[in-house]
Amino acid sequence: MEVMPKIPKSWNLETKPHKFCPGCGHGMVLKALGQAIDELGIQDRMVFGCDIGCSLLSWDFFNVDTVQTHHGRTTPVMVGVKRANPELIVVAYMGDGGGYAIGSQHLVNAATRDDKITVLLVNNTNYAMTGGQMAPTTMPGQKTETTPYGRDVSEAGYPMMGPEMVAAISHEGAYVARGSVAKFRRLKAYIKKALENQMAGRGFSFVEALSTCPTNWRTNAQQTWAFLEDQMTKQYPPGELKTPTGKEA
Amino acid sequence: MEKTALKYVEKEVHQGKAFFRIFPGLCKGCGLCREKCPEEAISWSEELGVYGTPTVVADPEKCIACGACEQVCPDCAIAIERKAKEKE
Ligand SMILES: Cc1ncc(C[n+]2csc(CCOP(=O)(O)OP(=O)(O)O)c2C)c(N)n1
Ligand code: SF4
Ligand code: SF4
Ligand code: SF4
Ligand SMILES: [Mg+2]
Repeated sequence: MEVMPKIPKSWNLETKPHKFCPGCGHGMVLKALGQAIDELGIQDRMVFGCDIGCSLLSWDFFNVDTVQTHHGRTTPVMVGVKRANPELIVVAYMGDGGGYAIGSQHLVNAATRDDKITVLLVNNTNYAMTGGQMAPTTMPGQKTETTPYGRDVSEAGYPMMGPEMVAAISHEGAYVARGSVAKFRRLKAYIKKALENQMAGRGFSFVEALSTCPTNWRTNAQQTWAFLEDQMTKQYPPGELKTPTGKEA
Repeated sequence: MEKTALKYVEKEVHQGKAFFRIFPGLCKGCGLCREKCPEEAISWSEELGVYGTPTVVADPEKCIACGACEQVCPDCAIAIERKAKEKE
């Protein structure tokens, strides 16, 4: 028997190795999503939307219908797809810059309207594709291209607490969680529950994934995990914030 | 995927009860797997990966086939296979 790598069935083999940098968390988030799609058996009725930013490098990532659009606008585009055909399962995949800054109004309005879509947002604490500028999620004191002395909250504001905000403005059937690529199984469980919430037509579903960007963080493997697990999780506590069907154990 | 991506290097680990497989054509040499191994069983290999950087190899004496490295690899370059499962 031919030995194959353990790649999710829903991934497009033709485009692997994928386009993300070595050690990029996008690969782990999309692996969790791929496994979730496989386990739920929804590949045939999925539509995947990716944003501007490194998330767009996933435009040919899956063997599912895919669209790519601008900063945070992936959310309303997927809302349109879902409204046109509610049988489809749609995922709007974006970065923290796209989802929380440039296109944040779309996240706010989709959550408020309780659109039955799933938004998966990758928090890597910077605008990665454009070279590592400050994002709404940049940590206090974190150095980026535009905060060379570290983010000073008195001038540059405080980090954006996305899931907390979505939990506050969304409605009863909404699912809201924050996972981390360092806890892969749990992140996958959250993504699966967010998809199931959409499939059950309960409400808006939102998962933020704490992720890694070794290229712009300028970190080696050990420093990459340390920044994610010791620093980011203090500012951004992982866990479920809104669960129509009860919390993960 | 290029045909070369299917090439793999295999090591019997965990007292011969499992295989540690690395697919060099997928490995980008990021090192995230090495840091996550609870047994510190992973070291750099002579075999080069897709970007010409070293790939990884597991020490058969140390590896317990827990699968942590496989799980965190962003590129699905590691596959742990327990032999017992094969026989079932
Ligand atoms: C309206 C608009 N403004 C600015 C840009 C330039 N731009 C491209 S990617 C990007 C940053 C994306 O950051 P994020 O959403 O966090 O994704 P990441 O690359 O970090 O995954 C920016 C500002 C753009 N493409 N369109
Ligand atoms: S720049 Fe950062 S987020 Fe973008 S692909 Fe590279 S590691 Fe990933
Ligand atoms: S399977 Fe577990 S013990 Fe073996 S190399 Fe991977 S992480 Fe280490
Ligand atoms: S995590 Fe994957 S890509 Fe990175 S060094 Fe290990 S095997 Fe290679
Ligand atoms: Mg970002």
